[in-house]
Amino acid sequence: MAKSDLLQGTLDLLILRTLEQRPLHGVGISDRIEQVTRHVFVVGPGSLFPALHRLAEKGWIEGAWGELENGRRVKVYSLTQPGRAQLVQEKRNWQRVFTAMNQVLTEDA
Amino acid sequence: MWWAFLRRWLHRRQVEQDLGAEIQAHFEILIERHVAKGLSYEDARLAVQLEFGNPEQVKQTVREARVGAALDAGLQDVRHAWRVLRKSPGFTIVAVFTLALGIGANTAVFSIVNVVLLQPLPYREPDRIVQLESPADESGLMIRYISIPKVTAFREQAQIFEHVALYYPGGGRMNLTGGDRPEQVAGMRVSSEYFPLFAAPLAFGRTFTENEDRPGGPQVAVISNGLWHHRYGADPGIVGKSIDIGAAPYTVIGVLGPGFHWDSPIDIWVPLRANPNSLSHSHDYYAAARLKPGVSLEQATAAMKVVSEDFRRKFPPEVSFFGHGFLTPERMHDVLVKDVRPALRLLLGTVGFVLLIACANVANLLLARASGRRREIAIRSAVGAGRHQIIRQLLTESTLLSLAGGVVGLFLGYFGLRALLLINPGNIPLIGEHGAGVTMDRHVLAFTLMISALTGIFFGLIPAMQASRTDLSVTLKESDTRFSVGGRQNRARRTLVVAEIALAVVLLVGSALMLRTYMALRAVQPGFDAHNVLTMGMSTDEPRFYKTDAVAQLVRSGTEGIGRLPGVEAAATTSSLPLEPIYEMIFTIEGRPLSKLPYHGMGAWRSVSTNYFDVFRIPLVRGRRFTEHDDGAGTSVVVINETMAERFWPNGNPVGQRITLGKGLGPPYEESAPRTIIGVVGDVRDDGLNSMPESIMYVPVTQLNDGTTAVDSQYLPLMWAIRTKTAPYSLSADIQRELRRASGGLPVGQIRSMDQVTAGSIARNDFNATLFAVFAGLAVLLAAVGIYGLVAYSVQQRTHEIGIRMVLGAQKRDVLRIVAGSAMKLVLIGLCAGIGGALALTRFLSSLLFGVRPTDPGTFMLVAIGLLGVGALACYIPAWRATKVGPMVALRQE
Repeated sequence: MAKSDLLQGTLDLLILRTLEQRPLHGVGISDRIEQVTRHVFVVGPGSLFPALHRLAEKGWIEGAWGELENGRRVKVYSLTQPGRAQLVQEKRNWQRVFTAMNQVLTEDA
Repeated sequence: MWWAFLRRWLHRRQVEQDLGAEIQAHFEILIERHVAKGLSYEDARLAVQLEFGNPEQVKQTVREARVGAALDAGLQDVRHAWRVLRKSPGFTIVAVFTLALGIGANTAVFSIVNVVLLQPLPYREPDRIVQLESPADESGLMIRYISIPKVTAFREQAQIFEHVALYYPGGGRMNLTGGDRPEQVAGMRVSSEYFPLFAAPLAFGRTFTENEDRPGGPQVAVISNGLWHHRYGADPGIVGKSIDIGAAPYTVIGVLGPGFHWDSPIDIWVPLRANPNSLSHSHDYYAAARLKPGVSLEQATAAMKVVSEDFRRKFPPEVSFFGHGFLTPERMHDVLVKDVRPALRLLLGTVGFVLLIACANVANLLLARASGRRREIAIRSAVGAGRHQIIRQLLTESTLLSLAGGVVGLFLGYFGLRALLLINPGNIPLIGEHGAGVTMDRHVLAFTLMISALTGIFFGLIPAMQASRTDLSVTLKESDTRFSVGGRQNRARRTLVVAEIALAVVLLVGSALMLRTYMALRAVQPGFDAHNVLTMGMSTDEPRFYKTDAVAQLVRSGTEGIGRLPGVEAAATTSSLPLEPIYEMIFTIEGRPLSKLPYHGMGAWRSVSTNYFDVFRIPLVRGRRFTEHDDGAGTSVVVINETMAERFWPNGNPVGQRITLGKGLGPPYEESAPRTIIGVVGDVRDDGLNSMPESIMYVPVTQLNDGTTAVDSQYLPLMWAIRTKTAPYSLSADIQRELRRASGGLPVGQIRSMDQVTAGSIARNDFNATLFAVFAGLAVLLAAVGIYGLVAYSVQQRTHEIGIRMVLGAQKRDVLRIVAGSAMKLVLIGLCAGIGGALALTRFLSSLLFGVRPTDPGTFMLVAIGLLGVGALACYIPAWRATKVGPMVALRQE
């Protein structure tokens, strides 16, 4: 799988999961996703920021201004309480879909 | 969700800054990474942008992803449009004002149409109220006057009609006597069903019972809320009290609520007391009824067609005055507005044209501006704005313009119209006194809002489509001030100007025809001299004046007394003034055999005093006028007009012949003895200045029978007409004093000069002509501005070219020809198209015209010449200014 366009729901799940471990700024989130998925998913700012703002409007994550070591001001996102609940829900959904898809794909002819 | 949108909107500046900073930081980090790998900053920036696009695009995707993104974008468009418009106040003011004129004209006409044609009558379930009509002669024309037998035919259809009410149509005056302040008020005689029919609200008491409406019933009255307040101080105990109406005691049984409206306000109602079993075929009343619930007008009409056949069998049509057609119920609203509906529709069409012209003008302005904004638009699309976004932005601008135009137009139109109605209410029904009923209600507001919005889209769409079609690479390469204008755009502008001119020509022709009508009406010889005549109305609705001798005594004493006043030339009375409604009467000619009809003819009929012809200076053609001796003791006499003489005695002399009035009608109109024709007088246009004179019979007021006098006294005020040597109003006080003396204290009212009466009779024509003139003037003005704008703009574009030509030896004349010539060609094309349109459309005007044909060549010529003149001015002024530019200036203008 090459650098792919991510399905919106998938991207939301990836972001929520990434922020579950610790708060991160935008570059940190896309770095982390790229790293964990071993360069399968490369999230450019054109997809990342709309997703972040959409999640923030839903109240699942919230952004706050913070500073990097070099003094640059960046917006750092963290998971909220409703966001955590949502993540649990989405994980469960994903597992169901994943299992179902696997069954279809591995079924012996 | 909406909360998020609202919060973001309230802090929109902060939110935008935040977003910008956030994304900028993101990009900076990515760039730094490339820099760390050894790239220069600029190369790093390009590399990042190549991979991820530019920050602006990212911001845009975020904006679009947010809640209420569409609304957000719309609001942003509005703010942007507002900034753009504020930056060019000259353009904005011209555009808004142009649109305000167009929209204002529409608001003005719509606010009349709204109250006259669209609003329901102010009664409960007004759609069920019908006027009962019938054709009284062979022309088949429906009339509202109706006879009791015809009303009975309607009333018998009890499964179709309820509350069949008779009433006397109005103009009735009554005297409130008793107390120290006699007063003449508007009174009406109505049958008992009148109040339930119109669902009249009661403040106190009750309305008439059927018993009170019978001949010989008790004297009772219902009064209006207004009269109760102003004359009786809102006395809560008024019901049961006795008041004097025409010196006779009446018991007040009810006071109506303030919500009851009649088209001309009425103060007092008394029972009509018509004999329901009368077989008289005299058409004396109006009748109206309510359709029973569930009965449609079509069903009622169909049923009455069958009934009409029965009626014809029962009463011979020539006796019962039943002409070609049927007894017909017609919606009362339709009957009331029948006369004004065509004119109002035409006016709506006219203002529609004015608005179209205004739209074309503003579209042209926008097109001109769009070429100046091509760089702005090109840049916007270069940074990622799609075509639909640019169109949306431009449409937002035009809609903002038209809404602003709508607001200004609403006030311009509404208050302009109110001012006009104050000067001349034009006898338009249902608009209240001086147009007080024409209000800026929610319908008018909604209409104005709607046409404003539609207008904005309509005139904005073509320029927006054109502008968004810009070719980026070409536009951006062009220098700022000088670029060739796309041929397509110029074609659009030229087409718009041609259309404007054509529309303006159509309106101009229409208005010129109305103006010719206006002048023709003033040039009409009415057959009498209205100048220096004062008129007054006196109600003689008192039992003592139900006898001819008493009225004759009043008339003699009054006219003699007034005649003795210095400054008075002659004084007379009449049952109706010239040009005002008049009644008709049948007559039979002595010694002439009858053919199909039981009478020889029908003519208008007026009872007058001796000096009537002197007061109005109506010339005597042959025979003699009335003298003092033509009274009750003398031979019965009559004077006829020339039209009647020519029609009924084409080859002979009518003087000396004898005719009998009302034969076959029964009492009181049937006269027992024939009258001798003693004279023939000149024709008077009694049916209105735009109608040919009809036959008329004048009889001495002293020679009516008592029955007719009683009817006249009850229904028609006695009109006094006094010819004065000076300004008529200067004698008003003296004359009133004489009349009070002669009548024993009767009040007078309706004091008008005869010039005013004449003006009133053509008020509606004047009203229409005024509106048409205003709108056509607007149209021409707007079209001229449109031409001027086009030429001025092309001059501005071609200044450089003109400079070169002048350097190369072109004369001013050549420059004028080049610049103005092509525009004049457009004027000519528009003029031809407009003349063609006018030829096709003016026939719709014919019902409003008088003394001029809808295709009058002279009028068309005049309009053509006038428009060419205006067009030439609008072309040559900017062209002439172009020649004033020195060649060096023109060449330097890069």
